[in-house]
Amino acid sequence: MKKILFALALLSMGVCAWAAEKDASASGELPHKNSLEAKVYRGSIVFQYYCALCHGVNGDGNGRTARLYKPKPANLIMSDKNDAYKELIIRRGGEAIGRSSFMPPWGNELTDEQIADVVAFLRSIRSPTVEVK
Amino acid sequence: MISKQHTGILLFVTGLSVASVVQANEFEVTQKDKKFNHKALTVKVGDSVSFKNEDPFVHNIFSLSDIKTFDLGSYPQGQSKKVTFDKPGTVDIECAIHPEMKMTVEVKK
Repeated sequence: MKKILFALALLSMGVCAWAAEKDASASGELPHKNSLEAKVYRGSIVFQYYCALCHGVNGDGNGRTARLYKPKPANLIMSDKNDAYKELIIRRGGEAIGRSSFMPPWGNELTDEQIADVVAFLRSIRSPTVEVK
Repeated sequence: MISKQHTGILLFVTGLSVASVVQANEFEVTQKDKKFNHKALTVKVGDSVSFKNEDPFVHNIFSLSDIKTFDLGSYPQGQSKKVTFDKPGTVDIECAIHPEMKMTVEVKK
């Protein structure tokens, strides 16, 4: 009986090692264009280029220009706004929805895909403690 | 009762103020094809620069330079917003929507 259990344990270790190796090789591949991973990655690039100026490289609202504004740019890590709201404010700007006029409308500058990617990125950096409205 | 001497001083001071107002110039910088039409502009203290948007989309001109910090907000084609430079030095100017747009205003005494 002991021998059988030992053989099963060895087999199970072998299977785990094989699975780990397979994951490692898979991680070297590019994620599919429509995968969440790809969207978040592209969104992070767009965010750093266009949004970090005000919202900070970490999205915490402490960008280079933050000192110009009262109230400060939104802390996007702690934002409780849902994806639809974020898409709207990105596309139409703050003033159009009764928020800061210093949040520009990005609808003419960013493509639909870029906006969706930024929203995906923002979802990825949101604190798990935040309850989304 | 104002004496002749005081009247003279008053006129002199008024004349100086008028002279300084008259000497202030206004420049125009346009934004077209996501570019400023000047890479660098030299003005004098007291001069103004009007930033005119000639692109069919919004621009948002701002500066974080110590001698002149401002944000003109987003504004569309055909509109312009003015900034008066009241201290000497170099002012770096950018567009918040188009990070590649940059220029400097050199403010002389």
